[in-house]
Amino acid sequence: MLYIKCPHCGMRSQNEFSYGGDATVKRPELGKEVSDQEWDDFVYNRKSLRGKHWELWQHLFGCRQWIKVERDTATHEIFKTLKANQEISK
Amino acid sequence: MQKYSVFNLIKNALSNHENWDLAWKDPTPKKEYDVVIIGGGGHGLATAYYLAKEHNITNVAIIEKGWIGGGNVGRNTTIIRSNYMHDDNALFSEFGMDLWRKMSQDLNYNVMFSPRGIINLAHSDAQMNVYARRGNSMRLNGIDAVLLNREQVKEIIPMADFSENVRFPIFGGLMQPSAGTARHDAVAWGYARQADSMGVDIIQNCEVVGFDVSGGKIKGVRTSRGDIKAKKIGLCVAGSTNILAEKLNMRLPIETHLLQACVSEPVKPVLDRVVTFGAGHFYISQSDKGEMVMGGDLDGYNSYAQRGNLPTLQHVLTEGIAMMPFLSKLKMLRTWGGIMDMSMDGSPIIDKTHIEGLYLNCGWCYGGFKATPASGWTFAHTIAQDRVHELNAGYNLNRFNTGHLLDEKGLGTKTWIS
Amino acid sequence: MTQPFRLQNIGLINREKKLSFKFNGKNYYGYEGDTLASALIANGVHLVGRSFKYHRPRGFFGAGVDEPYAIVQLYRNGETEPNIKATEQELFEGLEATSVNCWPSVNFDIGAINNFLKIFLPAGFYYKTFMWPKSFWYKLYEPFIRKAAGLGVASTKHDKERYEHKYEYCDLLITGSGPSGLASAYAAAKNGARVILAEDKSRFGGTLLTSEVNIGNQSGKEWADGIISELKEMPNVTVKNRSQVFGYYDHNMLVMSERLSDHLPKTKKFNPKQRLWYIRAKEVLISSGSIERPIVFGNNDTPGVMLSSAAKEYLKVYGVLVGKNPLIFTNNDSGYETAIEFKKNGIEPVILDTRNDPNSEIIDEAKNLGINIKFSYVVVAAQGYKKVKSADIAKISENKEQLGKIENIKCDCICVSGFWTPTIHLASQSGNKSKFKEDIDAFVPGTSKQNETTLGAASGIYTLDQTLKSSFETGHKLSKKITNNDNKISFPNVVEKKSTVHDKFWCVPLPKGKNYKRFLDFQNDVAVSDIEIALKEGYRSIEHVKRYTTLGMATDQGKTSNLNGLQLVSKIENKVVPAVGHTTFRPPYTPVSIGAIVGREVGKHSKPTRKSPMHTWHEKHDAVFVDAGVWLRPRYYKRGNENLFEASKREAKNVRTNVGVCDVTTLGKIDIKGPDAAELLNRVYTNAWLKLPVGKARYGVMLREDGIVMDDGTTTRISENHYHMTTTTAQAANVLSHLEYYLQLVWPELNVNVVSTTEQWAGAAIAGPKSRDLLQKLFPNSDVSNEGLPFMGYIEGDLFGVKARIFRISFSGELAYEVNVESDNGNFMWEKIMEVGQEFEIQPYGTEALSTLRIEMGHVAGSELDGRTIPYDNSLEGLLSKKKDFIGKRSLTRKAFVADDRQKIVGVVPLDKKTSIPEGSHLVKDSNAPLPNPKLGYISASCWSVEYDNPFSLAILKDGKNMIGQKLFVMSPLKNKVIPVEIVSSHYVDPKGERVRS
Repeated sequence: MLYIKCPHCGMRSQNEFSYGGDATVKRPELGKEVSDQEWDDFVYNRKSLRGKHWELWQHLFGCRQWIKVERDTATHEIFKTLKANQEISK
Repeated sequence: MQKYSVFNLIKNALSNHENWDLAWKDPTPKKEYDVVIIGGGGHGLATAYYLAKEHNITNVAIIEKGWIGGGNVGRNTTIIRSNYMHDDNALFSEFGMDLWRKMSQDLNYNVMFSPRGIINLAHSDAQMNVYARRGNSMRLNGIDAVLLNREQVKEIIPMADFSENVRFPIFGGLMQPSAGTARHDAVAWGYARQADSMGVDIIQNCEVVGFDVSGGKIKGVRTSRGDIKAKKIGLCVAGSTNILAEKLNMRLPIETHLLQACVSEPVKPVLDRVVTFGAGHFYISQSDKGEMVMGGDLDGYNSYAQRGNLPTLQHVLTEGIAMMPFLSKLKMLRTWGGIMDMSMDGSPIIDKTHIEGLYLNCGWCYGGFKATPASGWTFAHTIAQDRVHELNAGYNLNRFNTGHLLDEKGLGTKTWIS
Repeated sequence: MTQPFRLQNIGLINREKKLSFKFNGKNYYGYEGDTLASALIANGVHLVGRSFKYHRPRGFFGAGVDEPYAIVQLYRNGETEPNIKATEQELFEGLEATSVNCWPSVNFDIGAINNFLKIFLPAGFYYKTFMWPKSFWYKLYEPFIRKAAGLGVASTKHDKERYEHKYEYCDLLITGSGPSGLASAYAAAKNGARVILAEDKSRFGGTLLTSEVNIGNQSGKEWADGIISELKEMPNVTVKNRSQVFGYYDHNMLVMSERLSDHLPKTKKFNPKQRLWYIRAKEVLISSGSIERPIVFGNNDTPGVMLSSAAKEYLKVYGVLVGKNPLIFTNNDSGYETAIEFKKNGIEPVILDTRNDPNSEIIDEAKNLGINIKFSYVVVAAQGYKKVKSADIAKISENKEQLGKIENIKCDCICVSGFWTPTIHLASQSGNKSKFKEDIDAFVPGTSKQNETTLGAASGIYTLDQTLKSSFETGHKLSKKITNNDNKISFPNVVEKKSTVHDKFWCVPLPKGKNYKRFLDFQNDVAVSDIEIALKEGYRSIEHVKRYTTLGMATDQGKTSNLNGLQLVSKIENKVVPAVGHTTFRPPYTPVSIGAIVGREVGKHSKPTRKSPMHTWHEKHDAVFVDAGVWLRPRYYKRGNENLFEASKREAKNVRTNVGVCDVTTLGKIDIKGPDAAELLNRVYTNAWLKLPVGKARYGVMLREDGIVMDDGTTTRISENHYHMTTTTAQAANVLSHLEYYLQLVWPELNVNVVSTTEQWAGAAIAGPKSRDLLQKLFPNSDVSNEGLPFMGYIEGDLFGVKARIFRISFSGELAYEVNVESDNGNFMWEKIMEVGQEFEIQPYGTEALSTLRIEMGHVAGSELDGRTIPYDNSLEGLLSKKKDFIGKRSLTRKAFVADDRQKIVGVVPLDKKTSIPEGSHLVKDSNAPLPNPKLGYISASCWSVEYDNPFSLAILKDGKNMIGQKLFVMSPLKNKVIPVEIVSSHYVDPKGERVRS
């Protein structure tokens, strides 16, 4: 069971969280024209690689905040967690 | 090639088993092949076999990063079925069922296909209706399906929970009598042995490091054992699809996730069918060795680790006991994890790509093992003829753009929710 | 009853307490503190089972968790459990056990015919045969194989035992209470760290219980006892015996199973049988020791052949002799320790040492005791079928390949020591890549992956002095890091006998002309010849070897077989062992009861049950409930002998003619507040929301980004910046997370807060032509006229002193209202409605009548919004705003979604107006078409229309918009039904929606 640092609440076990997928996928702005490719990249296409992965978790049974987590998909090591409004630095 | 039979077994026994042939050789890769299949799993091996058998293409190499059969064909719960609702899935799988039925004889390798039937339990009238929709669709597609009421289910699996102390009582179930199980490793080995005998090079411990693409055409593959030229390349690496797609600058509607399974200690035969729980996600069968083979949910976050965490198994086994309370007293013996290509509608992709000569076979989610023969057969056809067969026409990559989705569960793009 | 193999003056058992037990129907005695294994051996019983494949006789091989042989069926307190290791099962009064996998008895087992056919049954034989004729596999061969396989018998009775879970955090978790575990625990505990020390066995001390060493001025055992009693007194230490840490998961989460009652005749009332501990440790010290490995020789599976360390343990811990004429076969000094113990207890052992005249203190001691030692000697084969009677032995050449003349010597047991294999399972599970240590010929943990440190024998350190020293240091160092304390304890002086290097010999060659089976895996009957065949056939990866031969896949998980298997593969393949590599170690380290993994969430408690505040009222009024997710909802209220169909018809009819009330508490409710609330709704729902006035409700549909309908419901503007959203019961939690996702991540600029209020409000839907009259009586001070509270209007009211929210919304298609009060007042509200409603002939109605009412009206619900349909499919395209963007809008342009013949909801009526249409049927053009018969659509919901008194269904039909008036067939092959039907509008009743506005 992963041990995730919620930036609001501190270290908590994974069973307090729900997963939310790739955090680097950006929703196109509302009302903006987007190509099929851009839209499909947002809705369907994922990189999902081995290694470092920025992803979303929601502290569902806690503060209910969505957070960003940088985790290694092969080892599950967690490097960093950010609040929803913090930008992922490349 | 030696023919396997009881006579041959006796003959070899009398010569102290010293004269058995290699099941497959261990060749050095040639410089060039007509077709290179990347991935020595069930689907890759089957593809090579059908390329040789059905299309007479034998200048073929299978290149495998580790050892053949080491991916999901060797780490699944061995269930074989065609109880799908969508026509594309149903007809494809039913075609596969025919291949399963004759596989042992076809491959001269006993894959122990055992049509013991699968029962999907229902726990409400609403769920009975959902299963009726699926079962009726199966029947209209010519696939066997029976709707069982509570009493009929009780007769077949009396050890399920029919007591008062149950959270989700059993209302009935949908049964596909012709579904069953097979010995998973044997499928990989059987295909490998036949493919090898027809001239296919099976190259293990050979990792793909890159591709050679020019002018929109595939030219070859770069591997840890040198460059290999190929006219056509088939990608058959469920679980690593995203990694290879990255090397081709492709982004696919696939996420990579972990699915765990476990077995109990072996016990004398007690469960003759494959059974799935309707008020959650749990499935079980008893292997010929006597072990209860059990599985359920994904671990729920992108993963390439062939190891999982206990809470997922706890959750799965909780549903197991809810369905069959006697499991409580058995012991969990072994657990393992497999890496899944989770596609965004839960159905696979067998298609050509925008690169000429490059073909894609991926996105099998949990359903890869049962699809092994049909996948190999249709993929071989797609590669050999450079066009999809009608059986895999629905499995095109473009469907995510056109909206012709094949979502059996209606869960959408949250692939980690199972 | 005597125990002929029990010694009088040695052992840790309690001779004061005699226990009677039964094995295979025969009565025996043992003592408190015995295991079933030690008690059986004390009674001279060595034949306990039969092997998996050849049904060869099986005795005891070890004395603990590594046991491959002694597997029994246990009977305890009227229940039975399969596959119990006799070496782990503690004896209790009245214990009963039987052998497994043999018929009719362990002494005479028909299955043993396989033993004579074994040359025909090599590794993988079943892949090569049983293929003819085709149908015989499933019908004949497989059932036979299934019956022969399996070990014990699973009882299909429900488990009455209780299992618990516990979550714990600690600074140091220490796995094993041998010398390294005790030393590190003691050092860390003295330094103020929170320590959990786990021991699998009932006794603490590990090898200190059996080895002849001194620590300070105490014996090893005295020292261990002292440390344990001191640790037990310390408030920062938890010491647990009978507790196996079996899994090392991510982020230093370890799982331990504690066996609280398995050693008792029955579990005490209200006590758990086992407890599962989830332990999050800051540091993990793996002190799991090592397991002795066997040397491979002919017939090495004969009962009486066992590990030398096990023989020593039976002797020193249980006071039991495994034989009176022992042969010790060793490649290292450990065998001597066992021999010396025999000798001290009046038994004359013979030692065969594969080494050529080695020198060490222990060997000297054995020599001084006058023990018969044969150097450069090996056991070629054990002789005897159900028990060792003698051994064929021979001198072996310097290169270990040639055997000298075979001699036969009498013996009744062969104690084997092939040196020690570190127990690296937990370290390996943590992700630590093991490395091969040449000098001990075994794998040890490599670089730590998580916060784990491996100590003592588990890390390949086999001297006590070094083990204690490094363990004290590690315990101190790690605890200092956590607690910042620096309490050093003085390091005791250790006295142990020095040993010399072991011989890397592990397998005795076959003598010429002999074809003895030399087993590697004792439970699964995997012999050297099986591995040879696998390799010869090209199954060369260690994983292929394992899978083809089943090496290491038995219930002992290869604890004694894996390394020798690797040695063999490396020898044949001419590779070094690390190049062959080992198979992956995965949890659990030992099999764990599934009941313990699951804990208390069984039976009725396997999932939570949610009930509305009016639940008791429903129960009292004969409600029949239905599961709606985890909620229980009244499906119908049974009157007399009514069935579901009759009752729901009555209830629905009453809504259409009088008034009915339905508990709608389970609907999801979300409170939305903030200046940008309207903007949020406008983005989330497909229709326009910016101009909804205060005091008005609106129906809305929300999509997923892929264009599929996610949920529907009404949202009401309570005040300027305050909205009340309702969702379907099923989607309540998802919708809330969905809103939070967009608010927190996508549109953080929106100033809105959302919170679930599902549990805060109880809801009652009052529906029917008389509902306004009823409402007026319930709220005499409110204006509920069509003008005062128009359709989709909202007011607050006073329900006999209770604050209520009144929404004029309708799911039934009738004039209808929904009243919400705070949950605590739910029952009060309900009773008032029923009481006041009496004069209007009110009846409560359940979900079945609710369905009928909505189906007739063509309102969609879960069976249409099944995660696969877009708004158009549900005739909700009128709710798609053209002027604004919303979640999922972009996806609606997909080719399939705008196809001319896109599926759409329609109504279906049987031509005979009589035949009910089963839900889940399909619509076809030609009911006699050959299969596969193309399906045009499916029946999503069916009812008996109470308005027209005939069956009516909803269907999602291809090209639905052009199909009205067409005649098709409904087919349900599952129910053998073909029903000619006409396609009609999905709005079967009141298509203009006049009633809801009346």
